[in-house]
Amino acid sequence: MFSDAFLRKLDVLALGARNRAHGQLRGMHRSRRVGTGMVFADYRPYAEGDDIRHIDWGIYLRMDRLILRLFEEEADQPVYLFVDSSLSMDFGAPNKLDYARRLAGALGYVALLNHDRVNVCSFAESLGDMLPTRRGKNQAPQIFRFLGSIRAQGRTSLSSALRRYFAAPRTRGLVVVISDFLDPAGVEEAVAVLRRFRHDVALVHVISPEEADPRLPEEAVLVDVEEGSATEVEITPGLLTAYRATFERHAQDIEGYCRKYGWGYARAMTDVPLEDVVLKALREEGLLR
Amino acid sequence: MTFPGLTPAAAWLLLAGVAALVLLLYVLKPSPRRVAVASSLVWQRVLEQRQRRPERWRWWLSLLLALAIALSMAFALTRPELAAIAGGGGDVLIVVDTSPSMGARGADGRTRLQHAAEQVVRIVDGTGGGSRFLLADTTHQIRTPAFESRTAIGARVHQLAPGFGERAWFPELASLPGLRAQHQVWFVTDGVAAMDLPASVRVASVFRNADNVGITAFDVRAAPGDPRRHDAFVEITNASAGNKRVQLRIAGAGGTPLERSLRLAGGARESLVLDVSALGEGPLRANVASEGDGFALDDTAYGFLPGKSRVRVALVSPGNVALARALRTLPRVELQMVAPARAARLVGFDAAVFDRVTPDRLPGVPALLVAPRPTGWLGRAAGEISDTSVSGWDADHPLLSRADLRDVLIDRAIPLRPVAESAIRFDTIARGPEDEPLMLATREGPRLAVLAFALEASNFAQQPGFPAFLANAVDWLTSDAGAVARPLGQIAVPAKARVLNLEGGEVATREVPGASLFVASEPGLYTAMTRSERVRIAANLLDAGVTAVNASTLSSGLPSGVPGVPQEAGRFARIDPWVVLLAAAALLLALEWWSYNRRITL
Repeated sequence: MFSDAFLRKLDVLALGARNRAHGQLRGMHRSRRVGTGMVFADYRPYAEGDDIRHIDWGIYLRMDRLILRLFEEEADQPVYLFVDSSLSMDFGAPNKLDYARRLAGALGYVALLNHDRVNVCSFAESLGDMLPTRRGKNQAPQIFRFLGSIRAQGRTSLSSALRRYFAAPRTRGLVVVISDFLDPAGVEEAVAVLRRFRHDVALVHVISPEEADPRLPEEAVLVDVEEGSATEVEITPGLLTAYRATFERHAQDIEGYCRKYGWGYARAMTDVPLEDVVLKALREEGLLR
Repeated sequence: MTFPGLTPAAAWLLLAGVAALVLLLYVLKPSPRRVAVASSLVWQRVLEQRQRRPERWRWWLSLLLALAIALSMAFALTRPELAAIAGGGGDVLIVVDTSPSMGARGADGRTRLQHAAEQVVRIVDGTGGGSRFLLADTTHQIRTPAFESRTAIGARVHQLAPGFGERAWFPELASLPGLRAQHQVWFVTDGVAAMDLPASVRVASVFRNADNVGITAFDVRAAPGDPRRHDAFVEITNASAGNKRVQLRIAGAGGTPLERSLRLAGGARESLVLDVSALGEGPLRANVASEGDGFALDDTAYGFLPGKSRVRVALVSPGNVALARALRTLPRVELQMVAPARAARLVGFDAAVFDRVTPDRLPGVPALLVAPRPTGWLGRAAGEISDTSVSGWDADHPLLSRADLRDVLIDRAIPLRPVAESAIRFDTIARGPEDEPLMLATREGPRLAVLAFALEASNFAQQPGFPAFLANAVDWLTSDAGAVARPLGQIAVPAKARVLNLEGGEVATREVPGASLFVASEPGLYTAMTRSERVRIAANLLDAGVTAVNASTLSSGLPSGVPGVPQEAGRFARIDPWVVLLAAAALLLALEWWSYNRRITL
């Protein structure tokens, strides 16, 4: 899926998280729990049963009191990667689904490097295939294989997929949705469930150049690859201008929603090399650091 | 509605075909290309925002516009004529009088023909746009009249010129091609030339008074009794309304020109006989000059003054007192009687007359053979005929100039049939009722004239034309004939002849079977030359009927036209319907372009 050179560049990256990690296992993310760690958090009086290794012996000598030094515990972070596999993603050159697979692969690889628990799901009309939680760098090939097996099918219903997935108890973590967000039901309602569970969310908007700036004949019948519906349209410069403006507004609405709740949002144009998106756009957005 | 360009059936078929073709093209119009899009979500939002026109309505509008454009263009091709719109709609035949008097200039300095051209344009402009026009003339200058556009008619009428030589006649309406029942005929004339006009013809007069003094007769003759003297007979006519002072001048190749001053009353005619012997042998030019003369063609006349030298003529005859006396009366002839036995030894003569004597071989001098005996070199007898007369003769031949043979009766004649293999080629210049050759003259080579009958066996010697014939014969045999008089116009000369004018310039000729034709459009002295012959032609107007340019049956003083001639037509009446249709097609095309670019039409 990736070249060794690209993987080497990914080796130095880590997923950025806006919230403290809630993982149960040791990881590389700061968590709300105090315990063993490298970052000093607080002092408290020693109590029976405390680990005597955390007693601050300097204070004991000065004040003759047993005081423990507390450290922030570093935990792992659950990462939920949702890849849109609806028929609308099987479009454009380069193919949007293929681009989304590779993007998810790169993020998953970085998460595994940082000892995060990685969950990968595909979705269309509902929740699709799911890869059980994977942790550790050696699990990367499995993630790549799973992503490679995703096939485009069905309409887009992000809401249905997210509701179903988070109907089961899930540890709060980073949810990354990679999609073209051409959902007739809208994006806001779909991602409301994420907001309710207070996940850290990042939306990666995959856009094909043909969508953003279509080149069409003067008269055309537009066939929706998801719905199969046909619309006869007379293409005029004015209409194309209006389309471009509407498409841009659609993307800006999604971005605006994300900004409103402090979520990450990144556009991934499929005509931009993946390396540039991962190493520049996602880092600028703070999804990677 | 009519279609001059096509039959009605063909025109309607064309229109139906064009409409069907447009419909077919619209029905067969390729459907729009199907283009896959990831989602129509955004497109639906865009289309909801933009008000969409009903496609069916636009399709019909497009079709209607296309049909209107195509039908307008097809309609224009059929050149329709809509009487209701364009007015008129009938055929307009305009006949222009091109007789010589139309060349007369009025007080305004313009000829009647120029006024006629203006009148024609006025008639054309005043007629409705649906009309067809056909221009004809009275001297057949327009060989094949045909219906033409207004512009072409306007250009063609200015090419007409006063015609000469042919009698002016009004064209036969029935012979004109494609003239419809509904038509009007205009005749633009000065009313001088008399013509029979159909009752329906409307006459537009261009007659204007013109001053004219002209020569109506001019001839040069040897004075009776004195072969060295020649007189010119000149007749001058004042066709003007008022008195005129006229200056006559006759000039020749040598000597001092003769000048006479005359005063002629309006309509008066005066004849003069002047001795022109002093002007020397060669061309003569007579000219009259008067103030304000409006017709130049009759101001000049040409003649030819023949040589004055005497000729020695031998009369070889067993005895013919009448012939000898007639020859002796010719002023130039110095006659000598020769016995038939000495016929073979004629030396020192300019010409010979063999009366009932046939030389054994071709004479060494030009000769007139009267009743020769058929012989090998001359020809074979074609049988003997009796009690016959001359039924036809070539009046243009120099031998028969001014010689009338209509009363010649012949008791007995032995016509000659020339030998085919003989080197001598004869033309028959007078023939009997059964086409028997009664008079022959050589076409080329040595000059010989033959009378197939003896003078005693006919009354030819008692005819008034006999002395003229003898004089012509002597002149022709001695090659000193004067000029043949011809009117202006088309003149026939011997076949393959070169024609030179007085200045030596070659005149264009046209070959027809048996002759060459050339056109003398103004008076002049022409010389037609073949390999063996030279004929001088004095082409003059010399027609009192033409000189009388004011002898019109119409009144003058119509400065701007005549009653009935449309003076001012509506601006749109002059526009042909097909032009309107093309303009409409162009307008609709622009509308279609505009509506297409604004997505009103498909």
